Amino acid sequence: MGFEKFLFYVLAATLIAAAGMVVTRRNPVHAVLFLVVAFFSSAMLWMLLEAEFLAISLVLVYVGAVLVLFLFVIMMLDVDIATLKAQFIRHLPLALVVGVIMLVEIFLVVGPGNFGGESFPNPAPQGPDYNNTRELGLLLYSSYLYPFEIAAVILLVAIVAAIRLTLRHRPDTKYLDPSKQVYVRKGPDRVQLIRVPPEPRRVPPTATPTSGVEDEA
Amino acid sequence: MIELSDYLMLGGVLFAISVAGIFINRKNLIVLLMCIELMLLAVNTNFIAFSHFLGDMSGQIFVFFILTVAAAEAAIGLAILVVLFRNRRTIDVEDLDALKG
Amino acid sequence: MTFDYAHLLPIVPEIAVLVLASILLLVDLWLKDEDKGTNHLIAVFGLLVVIGLTGVVGGGEREIVLSGSYIRDPMSDVLKIAVLVVSLLSFVYSRDYLRDRGLWVGEFYVLTLCAVLGMMVMISANSFLTLYLGLELLALSLYALVAFERDNPSGAEAAMKYFVLGALGSGLLLYGLSMLYGASGSLELGAVARAVAWQGADNQVLVFGLVFVVIGIGFKFGAVPFHMWVPDTYQGAPNPVVLFLGSAPKIAAFALAFRLLVDGLGQLHADWQGMLVILSVISLAVGNIVAIAQTNIKRMLAYSTISHVGFIFLGLLAGTTEGFAAAMFYAIVYALMAAGGFGLLVMMSRQGHEVERLEDLKGLNERDSWQAAMMALVMFSMAGVPPTVGFMAKLLVLDAVISIGLWWLALIAVFFSVIGAFYYLRVVKIIYFDKPEVIEPLVVGSGARVALSVTGLAILLLGLFPAALLTYCQAAFA
Repeated sequence: MGFEKFLFYVLAATLIAAAGMVVTRRNPVHAVLFLVVAFFSSAMLWMLLEAEFLAISLVLVYVGAVLVLFLFVIMMLDVDIATLKAQFIRHLPLALVVGVIMLVEIFLVVGPGNFGGESFPNPAPQGPDYNNTRELGLLLYSSYLYPFEIAAVILLVAIVAAIRLTLRHRPDTKYLDPSKQVYVRKGPDRVQLIRVPPEPRRVPPTATPTSGVEDEA
Repeated sequence: MIELSDYLMLGGVLFAISVAGIFINRKNLIVLLMCIELMLLAVNTNFIAFSHFLGDMSGQIFVFFILTVAAAEAAIGLAILVVLFRNRRTIDVEDLDALKG
Repeated sequence: MTFDYAHLLPIVPEIAVLVLASILLLVDLWLKDEDKGTNHLIAVFGLLVVIGLTGVVGGGEREIVLSGSYIRDPMSDVLKIAVLVVSLLSFVYSRDYLRDRGLWVGEFYVLTLCAVLGMMVMISANSFLTLYLGLELLALSLYALVAFERDNPSGAEAAMKYFVLGALGSGLLLYGLSMLYGASGSLELGAVARAVAWQGADNQVLVFGLVFVVIGIGFKFGAVPFHMWVPDTYQGAPNPVVLFLGSAPKIAAFALAFRLLVDGLGQLHADWQGMLVILSVISLAVGNIVAIAQTNIKRMLAYSTISHVGFIFLGLLAGTTEGFAAAMFYAIVYALMAAGGFGLLVMMSRQGHEVERLEDLKGLNERDSWQAAMMALVMFSMAGVPPTVGFMAKLLVLDAVISIGLWWLALIAVFFSVIGAFYYLRVVKIIYFDKPEVIEPLVVGSGARVALSVTGLAILLLGLFPAALLTYCQAAFA
């Protein structure tokens, strides 16, 4: 029991510290890395709450895919960090005031008064036969079939939207056309020997080059 | 013993940090997107804690869907960010002044 | 849950929209650039079929299927048909615009239809989960649509602002929903309502969750003070997207508010009434006053939207069946008027010229008197001049508010409507009495011409015979 409590406080402290770093780092790469820490500690907290499947998917889906996507975009955009630094401090007091007010209100509502141990006792731990993934799956494919299908449409929209917004066919890119490739027959299609007349030896410039254009050529 | 209120207060701290982060990072779009991810993390923690203490799986189901939607949302958000950057070469909010408002 | 094909019958319209979107996604692959018009035909005829299916499946008592995720009741039938009709009109309006700008690609129709699907899911949602998923399906499609013209910097900027504030709104809404789930122990609206009734209206946690839910609804509606995204998004997005974004989603937002506040938290009426009073009064004030200062007609109509949202809230906060019917009537009528107003802007925009300044409308009467008359009709209706339907809608809402004794609120609403009438009538003056900058007559496709005429006549006829729509709205809450 004592160990669980210890674990909770260590993880919670890590999570809060990491979250604090995420919102105050100016360098987006650092922020993403701290977000990874935050998600990892959250995943472990969810383990304590016996939500094993979600904890694992948080690591796999979020850390593995979404945050890597974030990193990828940051690297691709090559953001100039120096321009982002300016006037960072200006909003800090306002943010602190808003955050603290919000925190006090939330604590008043969700504190031990409303959600303490008396009204919400800890449930008995699940037995060794309990399988969180199985339970979740059973519900997901029966009672929550309709939301499941809608989620599929949402992912479809994300695919269509991301492709539409970012995919461009650049005219100068060269493509291989597989449908033409399969028609290639043995013989002249594959290798063609072309006799190229030898190029006449270029006469080295005798005088000093007059313009820079020749240098580049 | 860890009580429900402990988890909820943790969720509350995360939520407040993310809201404060949105105020701090009004200038930096990519960190702004991360603040929104943090906010969803706070909500998910709430749902899972409630689900555990109520002995009701539907909270976990909700979290499953929030994760799905958030992944889709991140994909679209980053796509818009890329389009914006291609057009304006900046993601600094102060430079986004074509639309007054 | 035992699975029964009968459970699928009520969701046939949703399935049909999804099938339509998938067909378009596939067909578009084989279409050459000059044949893209086929997309338009498929979408329009498909939507007509879906409207028919909704009518066939609809009617009768409310039914809850798919383990409580889905509800079909008289309200959902009417709202779905309204959403489909308005979306159909916006497709017809946008045809020439999309063709001229090379935006006539399958993705536009796929994303728009997915947004329509999201609205239908929201309208028929019976649990927090389906409501949230429908909302996100709508929102994600709209974010992408706003940035659809990807070489337009202001479109991308508008999309980014819309995205950040929309995601923030969703986050706040979700935090509220998590509190409500904790306090009630269920995601299903009926079960939540029972739990709320059992716990009593003075539960601190429920009220706390309610605050976040109302803020989330405010963001999605674009009510003041959560309206920051509305003018910028309207200004930056391409005209057909504004047309779509500004009309049908308001109907869906009404459904969102009704499902959450009335179906789920009806017992907390006293609490959310106060919050909606504040939101509606400042929305009416800011919307109507700031609109006067606008020179960009898209921004002007954006602020006008905000003021109309105030009216929809007025009907909702009355909390009586009369008030709900009035709010629903108002939302549908507003969507129709917005479709007409933005539709005209879409029709007037030509290659290389986006109509967005008020001056662009100068002397429209000399260029095309029928279109000018229709636009004037839309403006009169938005201002609430009898005998247009806008007047009827405002009257019904005010009547509902007075009948619960909030006559001072009705007075405020009338006061700001009179201020608001100024800028609508200014548009009419520009259309009829200013000299045109361009003399050439307006080239408008026949489809769009028919659509605008239908909208204009509907505004007039519904104003003269409101019972045609009102009886359905009242029956929804009987």
